[in-house]
Amino acid sequence: MADTAAAPPKPSSSVKLVLLGEAAVGKSSLVLRFVNNDFQENKEPTIGAAFLTQKSHLPHRTIKFEIWDTAGQERFASLAPMYYRNAQSALVVYDLTKPTSLVKAKHWVAELQRQASPGIVIALVGNKLDLTNEDATVSREANSGEGADAVGGEVAEEGGDARKISTKEGREYAEEEGLLFFETSAKTGVSVQEVFTAIANAIPETQMKGAKGPGATGAGTGQTALGSERVNLNQRAEGAKEGCAC
Amino acid sequence: MFTFSSLVQKAQSLIDPSASPSTRNSDGSPSKAALFRLQFRLPDSQTPQHEITAELSLSAPHSSRASAQGPKEKQKPQERGTTYVGKLHLSESFLCFSTQPTSFHHSASTQASSAFTGQTQGAGPAGNGFTLPLCAIRRVERLQTPNSLFALAITTWNGFTALSGKQGNSSDAQRFTVQLAGSRQASERFCDGMKKGLRDGVKEVENLKAVIGECYSEYLLSGANKAERENALLVNGVKEPPDAGLGMVFRYPGDAKKLREQSKMRLWREYLRDNGRNATLIRQPTFHKLIRVGLPNRLRGETWELTSGSLYIRLQKPRLFTDTLSRYSGRESLAIDEIEKDLNRSLPEYPGFQSEEGIGRLRRVLTAYSWINEEVGYCQAMNIVVAALLIYMSETQAFFLLSVLCDRLLPGYYSTTMYGTLLDQRVFESLVEKTMPILWEHLVKSDVQLSVVSLPWFLSLYINSMPLIFAFRVLDVFFLEGPKVLFQVGLAILRINGEDLLDITDDGAFISILKTYFSRLEESAHPKSENEKFRAVTKFQELMVVAFKEFAGITQSTISEQRAKHKDVVLDNIESFARRTSIRNLGPESKRLSMDDLGFLYDRFYGILYEREQRIQVMREDIDRRAKARNDNATELVTGIPGNSSIEIGRVGLGPSPTLMNYDSFREFLAGITRWAITDAPTSHKDSMSERASSVYSGHSGRGRSPSLSPWGAGNSEPADHDFMQRLYGKWNKDDNDGLSLQDVVTGLARVKGTTDIMTSISYFFDLYDDDHDGKVDREGILRISEALLFLTRRGLGGSSVPSSISIASTLDDGVDPKSSSADERFLGSISAFIRRCFEYADPDHPQNQSNNLTSSPNTELNISMDHFTIGDSDSEGDLLDLGIKPTLLQQFSPSNPSPPALPRRTSSLSHTQSKSISKRSANIALDPSNPLHITLPTFRMVILADELLQQFFESAFPASFHLSDHPAHSHSQTPLTTFSSPTPTVPAAPRGGIVPPVKGLRGVLDNIVSDGMRVAGEVRKRVDEAQREMERSALQRSETDLDDEEEKGAYGVEADRRSVREGDRELLEGEEAVVGVGRGGSLQVEEDLLGGMDAEADSAEKGRIEFER
Repeated sequence: MADTAAAPPKPSSSVKLVLLGEAAVGKSSLVLRFVNNDFQENKEPTIGAAFLTQKSHLPHRTIKFEIWDTAGQERFASLAPMYYRNAQSALVVYDLTKPTSLVKAKHWVAELQRQASPGIVIALVGNKLDLTNEDATVSREANSGEGADAVGGEVAEEGGDARKISTKEGREYAEEEGLLFFETSAKTGVSVQEVFTAIANAIPETQMKGAKGPGATGAGTGQTALGSERVNLNQRAEGAKEGCAC
Repeated sequence: MFTFSSLVQKAQSLIDPSASPSTRNSDGSPSKAALFRLQFRLPDSQTPQHEITAELSLSAPHSSRASAQGPKEKQKPQERGTTYVGKLHLSESFLCFSTQPTSFHHSASTQASSAFTGQTQGAGPAGNGFTLPLCAIRRVERLQTPNSLFALAITTWNGFTALSGKQGNSSDAQRFTVQLAGSRQASERFCDGMKKGLRDGVKEVENLKAVIGECYSEYLLSGANKAERENALLVNGVKEPPDAGLGMVFRYPGDAKKLREQSKMRLWREYLRDNGRNATLIRQPTFHKLIRVGLPNRLRGETWELTSGSLYIRLQKPRLFTDTLSRYSGRESLAIDEIEKDLNRSLPEYPGFQSEEGIGRLRRVLTAYSWINEEVGYCQAMNIVVAALLIYMSETQAFFLLSVLCDRLLPGYYSTTMYGTLLDQRVFESLVEKTMPILWEHLVKSDVQLSVVSLPWFLSLYINSMPLIFAFRVLDVFFLEGPKVLFQVGLAILRINGEDLLDITDDGAFISILKTYFSRLEESAHPKSENEKFRAVTKFQELMVVAFKEFAGITQSTISEQRAKHKDVVLDNIESFARRTSIRNLGPESKRLSMDDLGFLYDRFYGILYEREQRIQVMREDIDRRAKARNDNATELVTGIPGNSSIEIGRVGLGPSPTLMNYDSFREFLAGITRWAITDAPTSHKDSMSERASSVYSGHSGRGRSPSLSPWGAGNSEPADHDFMQRLYGKWNKDDNDGLSLQDVVTGLARVKGTTDIMTSISYFFDLYDDDHDGKVDREGILRISEALLFLTRRGLGGSSVPSSISIASTLDDGVDPKSSSADERFLGSISAFIRRCFEYADPDHPQNQSNNLTSSPNTELNISMDHFTIGDSDSEGDLLDLGIKPTLLQQFSPSNPSPPALPRRTSSLSHTQSKSISKRSANIALDPSNPLHITLPTFRMVILADELLQQFFESAFPASFHLSDHPAHSHSQTPLTTFSSPTPTVPAAPRGGIVPPVKGLRGVLDNIVSDGMRVAGEVRKRVDEAQREMERSALQRSETDLDDEEEKGAYGVEADRRSVREGDRELLEGEEAVVGVGRGGSLQVEEDLLGGMDAEADSAEKGRIEFER
């Protein structure tokens, strides 16, 4: 499907990624950090959605992320289907210091699992790690040993910092749902690149743009794929739906 | 100064009573008022009162008008100035004139009134003419004319702030004549109406003065040059220029020189001098042209205010903004939190919004608006729009303009579901499909969704898409001509970039092409052209020409039509999204129910709320029918979107809708999913069971109303009202809200239905009656439980999954089966056994009493006494009581109220039984109120499990009695107890009790059994009461103290008070209206040179004028 002739230049393909999450959890800031390695205190709120692109270089291929950064305000939620349609990956972001944002994040995960393309790779990201007084390295890698992270979580609570959602809670939920999991800080840049790299790695080549194959499931996403009642903000999209024959 | 003959007027109004404004109002056809307001941008309080064909003559004080005129306008010789023929309209406080062929006369057809959606010659929806607040009129004189026509000379307060100080030059005194071209009678009626309005208008003059004092034009015209201005400053106290936005402090965007500010300003000063300013401005073709070339910075805000009509709202409530701020000062809300988050990120590149001053203004406007329209509150994008407005206007002006935007120009855009935005996206797509089929096909093929780019255009009015200076140019026209401008510009953008767009294959490329285009709007559209003039045309000018020339066919009526066409699909989509999200987020409890069930509950829940809203609406409308309907129709007609006050109220997709179910709705809800929650015939109130309930019913049983106005809706069965339902409601209403949320209902049902475990079911039931949660249910509770059991099963066990009674449900529906009656008899038996056993095993309440009384269960005695007043005790359980036996049996338990004469025997036998049992009971400790007792959950469980039928009931029948998606309750209007649905006129004499009316046949028998069952419980209660009274009496005799009388009475008192929750007063949502812009297609009068080289023209024109002016 994708050009397997791994000759230089490296094969490049594009991946559509959508960011979802409660307002002001730092979606746009994560993107800005990833794309421009920059951080702004005051970013204009996203109206509808912002579109950015950035390349991610993997050992064997280059991936161009087409990033849809959506508005977080609750009432914009009904617009979201417009942006996550055909997305191969999603970043569901919550704020480590705000419990309600994780609830909202769970809603988004459920929405994506049922309504988005089957096989979508979802990463759950707890942002604003800089507001907790953890050592950045402790909870860096979600896939690392459980022990270290759990300790990190406890320390955080003892430390009385702004953290309200423990690493354990986030990761357990992520594991349950088969999501990638990270804790990041868009402000300091901790783990931001890793999120995108992990997503790039998790997307099978068959899912890349132009080679979208039905049935290929993303890493770890236990698919329920009930795509039948998907909202069509735009009726014409019906016919153009990519091969999700569910 | 009025020279009208009032005598003739009076006579006239006697002849034609409909001439009086009040009756005319209610006689008019529905849509006129709203159309009228939309056309002239008037506040909602205005209604058309009079209209008449008239000729407007303007003198030509400064320059002869040689400019192009529309075909409708006749040009009189120079010295006479300009003359327009059109319609003169009068409302409560406005006098409006328009050349648009429009009539709002009460006798005119709706068709004629909506004709204004046609082409406007670029004149804007209201055409040439004026919208004059009556308070701005200084004097009206009737002129002597040779042909005895009515000719009125109108002098306005134009520029009076300046006039009051110094002798204004003649041009400041604005005077024009209007010649009425109607019959003498019609003319006089019109004048009479105007006279009244003028008189009322006098008190508004102060408002007017204050409001226009904030208009920059007043300052601009207060002196021609600096010296004069300073003079004016001294004399008038016009200290400094009024606030024309942050731009005055932080500079206006764009290069003033490039924008030709100076020449624009000169042209405008000229125009305003000749044609009146702000409230007294007269619209002539030049006005529209001047707007098309872009407003000068300092007049921009004021002109927006004027063309959008927000000025008139401000005129009515000049202090609304400051009052709102002070009233809500210090209050918090979700909207305010959201606003705070965005304050620092609204047009951050503009210096004014990097300062506390600018941010403070933005905060105040958004906050105040969120308070006056709490439904909208705050939506992201509003911050950007308001920030843009604030560059050109004061806070107060921006506040009123924002409300016009949300209410009229962008209906539903910022609502909580944003349905307006989504709808207009759909409309835009359909317009693209229609006008650019090839591009559309390409987009579809490439799977590019248009809205991803176009949505922000509409939502933030191009402000964050185009460079600011160009976005403001779009806004200039938008406020004048209405929402269609957004579509025209959008289509033009796609048309111009059409070729490039045909090459793209994905969203990203699509977006980047347009991004590039927007960033190069000021570049030449034809950089390679030989012709220098051609080269000078910028891309933006090209865009405007394409938008208004090529897409001139896109009119407001096109938009309205399309909106109406797509409305349902869009709302359905929003609703299905909301439904999906809502169901998914119902929490862990909901997992006990199937997806289908949840979907069913969701539909049912919101369906009921929606229907109720509608019924309330209908009832309200019945009171206020005409006015309401007129509003709604017009709004819908005009915008294609139903007004919020229309019957669509409560529809989820339209935004905030009720989300809580009160007790009445809950009853209705239960009646839809269970059969027991449907009331018995309304005539059955005399049942001892429902005696208490009847007081509740009589309040709103609907008998006094016409069927369609029944609170339950026509044809729907009326829900029952029973203690059990109240308890269920209370139990489900965990958080003590004003009602049940969907979450509450689902959680509640999940507990009942989601479990098949009999133990859980039993304890759930027990909890319902354990009022103080101490694990005990007292005597009263036991009786109530038994009543509830009878209530729940009075239509049979109902559960299709009950093996032994499986036939019951079906036979009940199908009609009659003698066997089923036996099952019911058995159940009655079970219940009496239940009562007996409960008392038998009950624990005494007060341990200290134990020593005094022989509470160690005088079982035998209890049994005996109970046997006397229960039917079907354990011995008779299972017996097939044939119908012959039944009546006699029932006689013993027939109600104490007068029996039909046909049955004299009953009363005696009843009293006999009673007296007998009472005598026995006096010694019965179980029924002795002085010996309170209770059962605990284990006891209750044991009693239930001791009886096969009760066990069945809790195991399956009760949970199964809630019919969800799997077994839709089809019981509506065909319930077994249908005296309600088959009204018999002879009801008054209808015998009750044991008599089976022949018409009713076997079904009637069944009914009787059931209702008699209820009577049993009632009887039990009555006898308990009697026993109690007995005890009291004996207690008195024995001089004993402390009987629990109070306690019992208290319980009843509570019961009586527990009236059903009535509808709270629901706020009528105000109709959301959108301004209708009048599009005038094809023959667009904007000359190429006006747009392409308007600035050049402006220059030359300016020269000419300057010469004239010297």
